[in-house]
Amino acid sequence: MKLDEIDLTILEILKEDARTSFREIARKLGVSPDTISNRYEKLIEQGVIIGSTVVIDPSKIGYSFIARFGINVKPAYSSQVLEKIIKIPSVIMASKLVGSHDLVAISVIKNFQHLCELRDNILEMPYVDKVEVGMWIKTMKLCPHLFII
Amino acid sequence: MSEIDCDEIDIKIIRALQKDARTPFKEIADKCKVSTETIKNRFKIMRKKGIILGTTILIDPKKLERKHIIIIGIQITQPYSAQVINMVNKIPGICVVTRSMGRYDIETVAIQKDIEEIGTTKDMIGDFPQVKNVDIDILVDNPLLCPKNFEFE
Repeated sequence: MKLDEIDLTILEILKEDARTSFREIARKLGVSPDTISNRYEKLIEQGVIIGSTVVIDPSKIGYSFIARFGINVKPAYSSQVLEKIIKIPSVIMASKLVGSHDLVAISVIKNFQHLCELRDNILEMPYVDKVEVGMWIKTMKLCPHLFII
Repeated sequence: MSEIDCDEIDIKIIRALQKDARTPFKEIADKCKVSTETIKNRFKIMRKKGIILGTTILIDPKKLERKHIIIIGIQITQPYSAQVINMVNKIPGICVVTRSMGRYDIETVAIQKDIEEIGTTKDMIGDFPQVKNVDIDILVDNPLLCPKNFEFE
């Protein structure tokens, strides 16, 4: 997949502010707004851009910290467990892994009780062997264009 | 329970932008049966209050040069080290570094070009004197994202 300077600049600008007008991007690059519009559509078509979203500060809407759950499951059941996990409210990202865990789930957490309930919820799921929790201190910001926050 | 400063309209704005950040304010205004100006102002106020940090596009890393997302867990010889955090921050492809409580003292998320770069990164961190252990988990396929799982009280 070869992306040229124009594509990469479009991505960089929209990563910072997805609502930037094509006219403004065109002006920065010295091309026509139509060029930007076409490139943008192409980037979506090619699956480089898979969506857009608003970035919210979780601490402003009642969340205290972020927790990362490292989950080990019985072999061959990763997909099943993953499907259940992504349905949990407050889990904002989940994925299969290769490494010391089989799955990861990242969740915004309201308070310690919420954390415990969430951990119990995951532990009680069929085929889940182990749950390890990391509480992320002092950060509520990840990589918005990859993980939403 | 903390007081959240958002009413029905604010939440509708956030929900609409969570699905598509480029949704025109007029479209949201029509759905809410208010003026476009109202939606514009609400958005501006939420930005000022810091509830909304901004908008962004979601990118598939597999289509870029750096395609592998990895999560790194680091154990260090003392509970906190600004030095290790500073060192990790300088590694190419690092997205975020955070202190952590649990099995690891420091956790980080990074995007890497290939398995070789992952190996190099692991070695770079492991070689640092205060680092006791480095665990790396590599994300398989694309992560599942659920932006609308932010609940509003």
